Order: sequence, then C-alpha cells, then structure tokens
Amino acid sequence: MGDLNYVGKSIPKLDAVDKATGRVQYIQDLKRPGMLYGKILYSRYPHAKIAHIDASRAKQLPGVRVVLTGDDIPAIRMGVYKDNPPLKAGKVRSYRDEVAAVAATDPDTARKALELIQVTYEALPGVFDPETAMQPEAPLVHENHKTNILKMPWKLHYGDVAAARREAAWVVEDRFTTTWVTHCCMGTSGAIAEFDHANNLTIHTNTQIPSLAQKDFLGVLKALGLEEKRVRVVKPCIGGGFGSKLDTYAYEHIAILLAYYARKPVKIQFDRREEFIATSTRQPAIIQIAQGCDRDHRLLFRDVSMVLDNGAYTSWGATTPSVMMMPITTLYKVPNVRYEAKCVYTNNTYSQAMRGYGNPQATFAIESSMDMLAEAAGIDPVELRRINANDSGDVSTQGFRITTCGLKECLDTVTAKLATGAEKMPGEGIGIASLIHVGGGARVYKSDGCGTIIKMDDYGKANVFTGASDMGQGADTIIAQIVAEELGLRIEDIHVIHSDTDVCPWDVGAHASRTTFVAGNSALGAARQIKTRLFEMAADQLEVPVQALAARDRHIFIKDNPDKGLEIGKLMRKAHFSHGGQMLTGECFYDPENENLGRDFRGNLSMTYTFGTHGVRVKVDEETGKVDILQYIAAHDVGKAINPLLLEGQVYGGVLMGIGYALTEQVILEKGEMMNPNFRDYKILTAKDAIAIEAPVLETADKDGPYGAKGIGEPGCVPTAPAIANAVYDAIGVRIKDLPITPEKVLAAIKKKKGITTCGIDPLTEKAEIC
Amino acid sequence: MNKFEYLVPQTLDEAVSMYDAHGDQAAYIAGGTDIVVKMKEYKISPGYIISLKHVLPRSEPQRDRETGELTLAASVTHRMIENSALIKNEYPILHDAIGNIGSVQIRNVATIGGNLVNAVPSADGVIPLIALDAGVNIYGAKGKRSLALVHFFTGPGQNVLEKGEILVDIVIPPQLPHTGSAYHKFGRRKAMELPMLGVGVLLSLEERTRRCARARVCLGVAAPTPFRALGAERFLVGKKIDDAVLQEAGTIAAEESQVRDSIRGVAWYRREMVAVLVRRMGQKCLERIKTTSEKA
Repeated sequence: MGDLNYVGKSIPKLDAVDKATGRVQYIQDLKRPGMLYGKILYSRYPHAKIAHIDASRAKQLPGVRVVLTGDDIPAIRMGVYKDNPPLKAGKVRSYRDEVAAVAATDPDTARKALELIQVTYEALPGVFDPETAMQPEAPLVHENHKTNILKMPWKLHYGDVAAARREAAWVVEDRFTTTWVTHCCMGTSGAIAEFDHANNLTIHTNTQIPSLAQKDFLGVLKALGLEEKRVRVVKPCIGGGFGSKLDTYAYEHIAILLAYYARKPVKIQFDRREEFIATSTRQPAIIQIAQGCDRDHRLLFRDVSMVLDNGAYTSWGATTPSVMMMPITTLYKVPNVRYEAKCVYTNNTYSQAMRGYGNPQATFAIESSMDMLAEAAGIDPVELRRINANDSGDVSTQGFRITTCGLKECLDTVTAKLATGAEKMPGEGIGIASLIHVGGGARVYKSDGCGTIIKMDDYGKANVFTGASDMGQGADTIIAQIVAEELGLRIEDIHVIHSDTDVCPWDVGAHASRTTFVAGNSALGAARQIKTRLFEMAADQLEVPVQALAARDRHIFIKDNPDKGLEIGKLMRKAHFSHGGQMLTGECFYDPENENLGRDFRGNLSMTYTFGTHGVRVKVDEETGKVDILQYIAAHDVGKAINPLLLEGQVYGGVLMGIGYALTEQVILEKGEMMNPNFRDYKILTAKDAIAIEAPVLETADKDGPYGAKGIGEPGCVPTAPAIANAVYDAIGVRIKDLPITPEKVLAAIKKKKGITTCGIDPLTEKAEIC
Repeated sequence: MNKFEYLVPQTLDEAVSMYDAHGDQAAYIAGGTDIVVKMKEYKISPGYIISLKHVLPRSEPQRDRETGELTLAASVTHRMIENSALIKNEYPILHDAIGNIGSVQIRNVATIGGNLVNAVPSADGVIPLIALDAGVNIYGAKGKRSLALVHFFTGPGQNVLEKGEILVDIVIPPQLPHTGSAYHKFGRRKAMELPMLGVGVLLSLEERTRRCARARVCLGVAAPTPFRALGAERFLVGKKIDDAVLQEAGTIAAEESQVRDSIRGVAWYRREMVAVLVRRMGQKCLERIKTTSEKA
C-alpha cells in the first residue's frame, strides 16, 4: 500500500479541542429567535383508557401558547410497524405514553401547564412479561392487532437440525435471559422545530439518520396537509448515539406539531429522567439454545428460539432478530441451524437499536453454550472454538461470504496474552468469547448507500460534504484522513460537513458499524475524481503524462523528479482565474454490492465481516459474590486501522459498555414503571470503575474496504458478557445465565451449589428467605 | 427550579433570625449538593435560601492539644477531610468513608455538616463519626445545645434539628490507645455511588491483655437510621479478638440489622453482607493497630 501520510495514523478527533474547551454547540446550547419551550405529559398508568382530558386550565395559564392532546392532532403513525402515534388518544399502553404536550414562553410555565392538565384514566389490567402476554387470555396491548404476538416471521431452518441432533455425540441445551439496558448518551435528547412563512420546516435534532428522519418529518407535514413542502434536518453536535437516535421519537414529532400550531420555533429538551424514561432500550430476550458437536468436536447444529419483550410499541428493537441471525448461523461453522423469534407486545417500555443490535444478546447465549459444550465434550473451550472457527473464503449457511477472517489469529492472540504461566489463585478464572459482526455495511434497507461531494476552494483546501453522521465516534476524522491521503493534502486542509440535509448528500444513517466502510469508500470515490482532475491540470502545465504524477504535502509533483511540482492552491487559482475557467467538485455515491436478506433470510448482508475474540481474567469474592476484572483483552480483525487512536477508543468504549451489560447495568421495571431513571441507581460504570483494556489489532486488509478497513463501531460490546460469564464459571464453577451477573445472583448460585437454598432467617418474620 | 431569594447572613444570629422571618419558606444552604438537586427536581421549592458561607468558619480539621478533641466545622468540605494528613493517619475510618463519597467535584463543595443534616440512611460520613463517638453542637433561636451524633437521627431524612437550628460543628473525643478503625462502603461501583451497605468498626485493645476494651460496630443502610449494633459490640468487649470472634460479632450484627428489600439491594443479601463485612472490617482494625504499634 506504499507509505501513507494520514491513513493508519493516530490523529485525535478533529473536534476534540472544541469539545474539551466547551466550544461546540449541542442542542442544549441552541436557541432560535422567539423560541417557545415544549414539554410532554406522560401517562400515569401502564395500561388504561383515557376517559377524559381537561386542558382548559392549562390553556388559560399566562405564557402558554399551545396545548395539544391526542385528539387534537392528525393521524400520524411512527415506527417500523406504524403502531405508535406521537400523542396517544383513547388509551395508554405504557408509562412513557405521551398524553398531552404544551408550548410556553419558558420551561417553568410549560411545566406548570402540564400540572394543570387533568387526565381521567380508567385503569386496565396490564401485561408485563412476554411469556404471559402470549397466553390466549392475556390482556391485549393493541386490540386491533388481535394478538400480542407481532406478525414478524423471524424463522429460518437450514439443513436438518433434528437429524443433526440425533447424530451429535454431545449436546447441551439451556435457557438464557437478558434484560433492558439503555444507551446513557452523555448528551440528552432534544429538538427545535420551526416553520418559515411558507410552512417549510427546519428541525435541529439529535439524529443518527438525517435522511430517513427527513422522510418521517415529511410524513408529519403531509398529515398536516402540507404536501410539497420542504424539510431541512440540521444536526447539532451530538453527545453520543449508540443506536438511540436510529428512529425518530414522539418528542420530535410533537415539537413539529407544537411549532406548527404556535407559529413559533419550539424546543423540546429532555432532562436525564426523561432521557431514561422516554427513549428506548436494548431489546430484552429470553433465549433457548441447544448446540451439539460430533466426536471430532465439529459443530453439527445450533437450535435457537427466542421470545422478545417488544414493549407497547414497535421500533427497531423488534427487528434485532435479523442481526441475531448472523451470530446464530455464522459464528463458527455450523451446518444445521434453526432459529425462531417471537416479538410480543407488553405494557413495558419499547426497544430500539443499541450498539450490536441484538448481537450481544445472541452471543451471550451462543458463547456461554459453547463453553458448556466444551465441558460436556471434555475439550478445552479455546480448542473447540479453533476447530470450528470460520475461514477466509467460507460461505455460511445463511449465504454470508467471508472474504477475510482473522478469527483464529484473534483466538491465539487472546489465549497467549491470558496465559500468565502462574498458578491459578482461588477465586480466579479466565473466559473467552468471540464475535462476528457486519464490517462492510449492512443492507437492511433497499439501499446501503452514502454520498459525498467534495468542493475544492481557491486555496487548495477541500470542503467535504458527507452523508455520514458523526455523533462522537469519529466519522468526521476518518473521512478527513481518507480525503487528505488521497489528495496529498494536510489533515487541516479538509473541512468535513456532516450536519445539514440541505447541503449534505443522502445516506441511510449511522448504523451497522457501516460509516468507515461505506462513507469512507464514498469519500474515497469523490476524492479520486478530484485527484484525476488535479492531475490532468498539473500534467498539462508540467507537460508530463498523468501517470508520472503523485500528490503529497499540498503539491502535485513528478514522481521521478520530486522537486518539480505545483502547489494545489496555485492549480486551483489558475483554474478559477483563467478565461474559460473551471471549478473542481467531485461526487460519489457508494452503494456496496451486498444483499438484502431474501427468501429464508439468506443473502450476503455485508461486503465483509469483522471478527474478534475477547478474553478476561476475573476474581470472584466467594463471600460477597462480587466479580472483579483483573485483565481484559479485546482482539479484533479490523481489516485496516485507519486511525488506531479512534479505533481503540471504539473498542474501549464498547468493552466498558459490555462490562456494564455483563455486571451492573439494568433498567429496573416494576409493572412497567421505571424504578431507576437516574445515574444514581442505573449503574453505568464510572471512570473509576474503568479497567485497563488491551486491544490488539489484526489487519487482514479487506479487498473492498477503504484502504482495507472493516467496521469496528459495535463489536467491542458484543462478546463481553459471555466472556465474563465464562470466566466466572471457570473461577468458581457457577454459571449465571441471566444478565446482569450481580453479586446477589453469584452468591445465590454459590449457595445453591453447596445445597443451601435459604439465605438466612428474617428476624422480623422469622421466616427463611429464598435466595 | 423555581425562583428564590438568596440571603447572605454574616453571623449565626443573623442567619437564625432570617430563617425565623421566613418560616417554612426558608432553607439553609452550605455546599448545596443535596438541596440544589432537590430544588432542580422540584422536590422542594424554598422561596429564601440562606447561605451559611460566612456564618460557619471553613477551617481545617483541628485537634485541641490539651483536650485531644478533634473539631470538624460543619462547613468543612469532604475534600478537606480527605486531604487532611491528620485524618488519614489518626482517624482512618473517616478517611475510608469520606474519600469514596460521590466524586471529586462533589467532595470539593459538599460539607460534612450537610452530609449529617441531610440524614439519609446511606450517608457515608455519618457511620465513622458515630463509631468515633462524635458529638454535635447545635445553635438556634433558643441558644446552644449539644448531643451525641448517634442520637441526632430520628428517621430517614429526619434529624433532631428544630426549625432554624444550625449544626455548627462536630467534636470527636480523644481515642483510647491501641485503637484501630475501618469503614467499608459496599456498593456496585467505585464512584458516584450510594452504598448498598455501610459498615464501620472500631476496636480498642487493652495494653496488657490485648483484650477488646471498646468496640463500635456501626451500620448504614441497615435500618431507617444509622445505628450501632450494640449486641455485637457487647459481644466483642472483653474478648481476645480473632477471626472466629469477629465472625460471631458479624452474625450478631446481621441479626440486629433491619435491612429491607429495595431496588438497591435485597434484604437477605444485605444481611449476609453485614456479617461478612463486620468481620472484614474488624480484621482491618487489628491490622491497623498492628501497623500503628510497629510504627511507634
């Protein structure tokens, strides 16, 4: 690949200094002239009829401009299943249901107005557990739907699982469960909607999907009778996405409706409590898994069925089975696979996309089960994985074409680093788990495309208009590196604009770890067009063929005579200031040749796949059940590290998110009500809890990736929980199958293993307590 | 939060009279880390906030050379206590607790007096002070009064202060020789954490016999208010302390606790942890006595 100036270098994120010094503008910082403040009234019941709403007192409060209820707005249905109106009329189905909204001149007046809205509810019996909700006599969350089970046929069967199971020498089967966790973005959600005199909408909003959000908001305009009007989505600096902004939310629709009726800009800004309650979680799952292998320890089959708590409405959480299929069919070579998932309505909160998109849940079951199979078959768990590891050139049962695969190398790296040579101390144990994830885009829509426009200025600097959305992960920096590299410019010459649908090209969104791969390839394509034009201009002036030229350090020069060259700024000025002059723009829409999942959910979803193995050494305190992490290694096959610093950041952040998922984090719902909507009781890990993480990088130079790169945004949090669960088992011989692995669960399991089923006598009741 | 007036009295009497003038609308503020949060969440909306900044001196923790008493002004920040060499070396139980409250940013402004007055069952600062037999001095419209800290708390979030009374300082009597003390905050993470359980143990040994001369076993979040497990203390006094004795003391303390189920932890687990942690803190006390005598 020759010597590279910017690609492969650890360049700090371009806006790091602005962020560290408080200069960047988050939604919290933005104000518009004449702006009103919107607030939302949420349900007081998990399931109830709305008998009556009296908003008259709220409307009379001085400073209140608009009050809206579900009966006041046109028919709008949000989400993938179109079952969610932004304001609910007639009935509420969860505590986060939006019942009314107000716009007022200041936030306190808006809050007071909410208190004056009197809602009379008639409580209905609720259903809070998906398995109960599947019973015929269960209350219906959506009566029109006739059943609580969503009509989404997540079902595949490749080969013959029943026959393979009969042939298997060893079979293990068990049930695993995972609960709700949430993204905990540092920046809380918010939006400012405003209409111009002609009813065109501009909305500043925290979104990972500017182009698709634009489509949703056009839908709101259409419902308001405003066809043919324009929507401009402007994205402020975003303090974290992790999937939470992959769908539009009710608050964005409500801001638009309030702004429309108020004829003023309206801002809705979530506080932390609202962020916890009214944004969506990771999809909780109940997983039944069976796996078996033959006498040579080759996997023969994998049989997985799941029940997913959909909550009261349907967002991307209900489609996570499409990604769960990937590890289920293709993590290791499995000839016979069966998978079925049912998404079930309940009166709980509804789920969304969250880093890994179902993969962490599925991998928790698969990789825990792999260790159980290894034990049953009497083989080292690493060896079982190595025997069954994927190879470059494989095509899996689901039709995934593995172009490059560094899984065996990742397994070896992690195993070597975990081997200390020292004797295992009491309570210590090691565990590993591997992952596969899409690394070359993911064709979940009809397009997986992203556009880039590059415009050269008079001074030889480049404005890069990308469809990619940076929400803190570093897309801006990666794209600047790629363009600087290709054009021979310096990194500071590149200005990446990624925030405005009026100027930026179309893109399907920041998801599926696709941005480096797809937006990177798109930027590369546009840069190559510019480069070709610059070379033509330089070749003309230097009187050499274009093949003789190269670009470096703001100059186009002759390869064999590097002293002879032209500054790119001068070339540009010459282009602009000549008779019959020209301007230089390049554009590229890159849509990878990956495939939608088709019949039987077969299809090569991604151009390439990212692999990795995590290894962890833990110490379990057998008296308290606490798990301490002593060592953590996360090895990934990343194709090529375009920016090792940012890549490590993605891995570190992912692993910490994964450790929270494994050990401490849970949204506690009691009969649908969130009991811990704050950082005091939602136990995201703090800086003081952070552990040293080693992140060895394996570069397999994927032929389709920009400079060989694969996506790495999500993998860091995918195999963390099973690696830790496996290490806990190795340490003390108890297996926790229900996340998070709390000290209480560990201690109860230790007691159970010792044959103790009661945990002390309650001195008040004098009854033995069940642990 | 709702609007309020900010009053800045210069003397204790002025503060008390301001409070008196505004009655139920008034609230004192020191570090503000509890009250401002409550105001932002609209849990309280006082019309008048009375600053204690100029009323209570913010002096370093000081020990009287003659009486041996350690005085902590109520307005001393957690960070000042944490960074005090005197506290670290001679009152390690207090250092154990204070250094793990909230975050550095919170400890920089939050005061020890505020931690006590807020009176939540999970207040980490309280347990070691009770173990150290601390007393508090209170000032109000009726003048001064003093009482033992252990009697200061009357329920979750409730204390003996009457309307307008100010906690002025905390006094820790001199410790017996051969004393070791230790506190453990038992939580789910290492910062920004309320304890699931707070366990403080103090042991003083007799010079000659090395038997336990004084024992304090103090528990937080194990009952509606911080409390001393008197049964465990009585069991320890007069005994030669070893692991088995500490184990038994832990079991007694566990039986004395009135732990309950909450989203932060289940009762059975909390009770078991009382037993484990009382033993471990007792062991730490012995280690600290040993280290101190080796140094001497």
